[in-house]
Amino acid sequence: MRIGLTFTAGALLLACAGAAGAQEAAAADGPTLLGLRGTIDFGARGTSTDGDAARYERYRDLRSGVFSRIVLGQETNQRMIRIRVNNAGYRDQFYGVDYNGGRSKISGFFDSIPLNYSYLTSTPWVEGPAGVFSLSPAARLAVQTKTPGVVGVPLTVADLATPSIYRSLAHSIDLQSKRETLGASFMHNATSALGFDLSFNSVKKSGNQPYGASFSFNNANELPIPLDNRTNNMAAGVEYATSRGMVRVGWDASWFDNQIHEIVWDNPLRATDTTPFDPSGYSNGNGPARGRMAMPPSNSMNVLSTTGLYKLPSHTTLSGTVSFVAMNQNDALIPWTINPVIANAGVYATFPGLASLPRATAEARVHGLNAAFNFTSRPNNVFGLNMRYRFNDHKNLTPVFDAREYVRFDAVPEETGGETEHFNIRQNTMDLTGTFHLMKNTSLNLGYIYDDFNRTGRAYSNMTDHTLRASVDTVGTQYLTMRATYDHTARIGSGFSEASIEDGGAQPGLRYYDESDRDRNRGSLLFVLSPASVVDVTLQLSAARDIYKGEGHDFGLLNNNNRSYNVGASYMPIDRVSIGANYGRDIYKSLQSSRNANPPCALNVPPCAAGTYDSWNDPNRTWFLNNDERVNNMDVYLDILKAIPNTDVRISYDFSDSDNAFLHSGPRIQELLTNTALTAGDTKPCATGLTSCFEALPHVTNSWHRTSADVRYFFTKKIGLAGTYWYEKFDVSDYATIDLTPGTPRIDYLGSITLGYGNRPYSGSTGMLRLLFSF
Amino acid sequence: MLPSRDLVRLTIATAAAATLAVWSLAARPSAAPAPAARPVATAPAAAAQSAGEYVGEATCLTCHDTQDYKGTAHALTTNPRSPRSTHGCESCHGPGKAHVEGDGDATKIVNLSKVAPQRASETCVTCHDRKTHALWAGSQHDQRNLSCLTCHSVHSPKGPSQLKAATEPQLCATCHKNVVNKQQHRFSHMPVREGKMQCSSCHNPHGSTNTKLLKTGTTVDEACSSCHAEKRGPYLWEHAPVANACVTCHDPHGTNNERMLVAKVPFLCQRCHVTSRHPPTVYDNFVLKNSTNGNKVAGRGCVVCHQQIHGSNAPSGKAFLR
Repeated sequence: MRIGLTFTAGALLLACAGAAGAQEAAAADGPTLLGLRGTIDFGARGTSTDGDAARYERYRDLRSGVFSRIVLGQETNQRMIRIRVNNAGYRDQFYGVDYNGGRSKISGFFDSIPLNYSYLTSTPWVEGPAGVFSLSPAARLAVQTKTPGVVGVPLTVADLATPSIYRSLAHSIDLQSKRETLGASFMHNATSALGFDLSFNSVKKSGNQPYGASFSFNNANELPIPLDNRTNNMAAGVEYATSRGMVRVGWDASWFDNQIHEIVWDNPLRATDTTPFDPSGYSNGNGPARGRMAMPPSNSMNVLSTTGLYKLPSHTTLSGTVSFVAMNQNDALIPWTINPVIANAGVYATFPGLASLPRATAEARVHGLNAAFNFTSRPNNVFGLNMRYRFNDHKNLTPVFDAREYVRFDAVPEETGGETEHFNIRQNTMDLTGTFHLMKNTSLNLGYIYDDFNRTGRAYSNMTDHTLRASVDTVGTQYLTMRATYDHTARIGSGFSEASIEDGGAQPGLRYYDESDRDRNRGSLLFVLSPASVVDVTLQLSAARDIYKGEGHDFGLLNNNNRSYNVGASYMPIDRVSIGANYGRDIYKSLQSSRNANPPCALNVPPCAAGTYDSWNDPNRTWFLNNDERVNNMDVYLDILKAIPNTDVRISYDFSDSDNAFLHSGPRIQELLTNTALTAGDTKPCATGLTSCFEALPHVTNSWHRTSADVRYFFTKKIGLAGTYWYEKFDVSDYATIDLTPGTPRIDYLGSITLGYGNRPYSGSTGMLRLLFSF
Repeated sequence: MLPSRDLVRLTIATAAAATLAVWSLAARPSAAPAPAARPVATAPAAAAQSAGEYVGEATCLTCHDTQDYKGTAHALTTNPRSPRSTHGCESCHGPGKAHVEGDGDATKIVNLSKVAPQRASETCVTCHDRKTHALWAGSQHDQRNLSCLTCHSVHSPKGPSQLKAATEPQLCATCHKNVVNKQQHRFSHMPVREGKMQCSSCHNPHGSTNTKLLKTGTTVDEACSSCHAEKRGPYLWEHAPVANACVTCHDPHGTNNERMLVAKVPFLCQRCHVTSRHPPTVYDNFVLKNSTNGNKVAGRGCVVCHQQIHGSNAPSGKAFLR
């Protein structure tokens, strides 16, 4: 099939080339033919992998077989046509055609992008109808009845010694998905001032992706859920533009249609529903036989916009855009639960809210109003001014949904739910920047940005960023390009509600890092030195430091400190030879704080007795995590183009490695490390018999190497032979991937039956031998 | 709801701006700034006055025979705005009579690579003044002294769209190497290094109505959900940072964490969820190896249970469990 498609595409393109040739002969009275251009790159490919082959391919299809990359264009002084084909017949194939007739442009394409998760994964669940996953009833019954020697989901370290009954039932599955896009666009200039454009694309996603599917704390599983959805996008606009300005009115629309409305799956710990329901079923596993969850709902979005630009004297421009956004989602809601032990009149007598849904469909909708206005003026060669105002209003109009009585994990009806809360955001931004051309080739920008957020449903009803910004740019000289920028932002919140934090069950000292008071300092520096026309030396430095602060801020993210250094050079000893290298180092550090605690005494029913130990308020339960990642990057290349007669050689090497440390500290860590209670009344944290129950996480490390070589030899000006070789090697050590041994990964681990998906090492090499036809 | 006074202000401002623009466009004859010339939009008198200053493209090519632009969109005669349809080389470089009569005096012709960046760009936007180019003036790149010629070459391009480099990431790395490094080298990345996306898939470097030069929508999440429509909702149960900005949790340029998360789970979640019991537990190697709580450290971490973390449409979807 793949080979057939590839040859068909090649034959069609060669036919086009033939037709073009015929037209060339007949073009005497027609448009001046500038010729057929492009390359037919066609041959065979072989790939060999070891380890996680899907990670090697990731967004590509590198299976052995026919390779094709074809670009053909034909140009006259009246029109241009271009046809492109990549990897015809494979999962990452692309076909495109572009026509430019001067006044009109037409484009069409088909693009397929795979996302390969893993070819090593396996699962004991069997998918029947789309989205319905079943497990062996006999195995489930054996687990439920605690048959001696049978382990379902490993619940103790001792269980790990016995393979889960589900391991033997697991079948392998190539975990991969695919995004296929078919699109077309048309643009036409009716007059030199008036133009129309119309575009449409349809995106289909199919395949499977790993997804969580849990029943309780000790029974959290992973399924290869199916993907079957389509997004249709359309845009249309009309523009009127003259040398004085432009007006555009546009409509953009998007419709997402999901064919998988819900997922139903069997419980690996239960063959039958626990009857009556166990109030602790959400934590001990005594839950339902099956679970059900809702998948992303079908939805739509429409945007009407108008954009205008007007040129004033003195190099002054005024532009603006206003758009109205409407988002709608009205999918049918799934029932409270699939569990018949709960969905019955007996339970409804106690939980009347579960007898029916408050409404049958989501009735969710959002309206947005967005505007941006920009004023730019450069009245002389010394001074310039830029002012920008943005307004965004995101208003969620979804009616409140009463879920104070709800069902947790399909296992337990509870009154601990709540009403849905939707988030409204209104943002006003004013950006004012002055540009000063202090000397030839150098300009200084000084700016101030006022960015105000007004939100509902958050701890701060309002937060404002005040940013001071300065940048210097030296460009246009032969020897030096220099760009430097620094900005300081002070974020100040107001309307803080501690009750909002505590209503969510959080420590009152928590501040969410996307709204807390914050000082941000960022800077970057770019130097490009060209001491001679054949040499470039580049230096890039950048740093950003966020400090999250404010009165009473004890928990959450406390700071972020990122730095990046890059130094590179390129050298062209002769016109046809170039060599270059770059080395970069990135450092990402962050510090966060938390407290390992139980609910506060004040919430206990009945309240704790006076003097009772309360972990909620115990500072010795506080811990910190310092995340420290260091990354090295390097790339080197050598291009020798026709320096050797008729031959092009390109060689490159890329390298990256990372070392990510997780450094816990604080009094709670001391308690765990020494099995002591630092506060009177607290109990020792470790199980009986242990002297310590803290063990630092190992660093997560990886290294990635990629070498590629491409050699092309041209027998004639138009015909050549090419050979390409890539080699990639990825090594990784990640505690989150339980089983890094080669082969099919383990799927049964403490508290879970997974797919075995994770970050795994691989090595892969691909070689290609191709014929080249150049036009 | 939007307060009525804001709505009224916006409506008045929009109506006023639109009225002003339409009136101006319709009422005022254009006066194209030199050197660029657009005959179809130039007043007849002005065109006649300057016509004698043009020497024609053939004359230019007598000396500058390697500086042709045939085979590009600039050479299409069917586009009345193209250089070929107007004054050829002199459409951009200005009338050449003085330059020719001065024996090629470089001071008597406009060399766009020698003029101030904003002046060079003003020449280009004489024609490239609509669609993706409409908002160049005052955009982030314009403010930082970049011109069209910083990235594009009319006469000797190396890549598509007449770029000066073979690919977009190579070009953008000139200034944004630390960002391109993420796309090219992190194991969790968008399909940029595989050639299935490029910088302009998300950004419009010529200016946009969004932040960060994002080319779609007017907010970050609108830009992301233009491809990830399944995350768009609106959902019955919303997760606050999702409604605000995807980049609170994800770095779309790439990371060494699964799903391009800015930190590894469960620690990313623990940056906000400091409550009681299991969210603020110390998840270390001891827990990973000795407890069923290991399922919160291994694999998907928190989202193995809270799988609907982008929002849930299930009535029992509180805490994004269903």
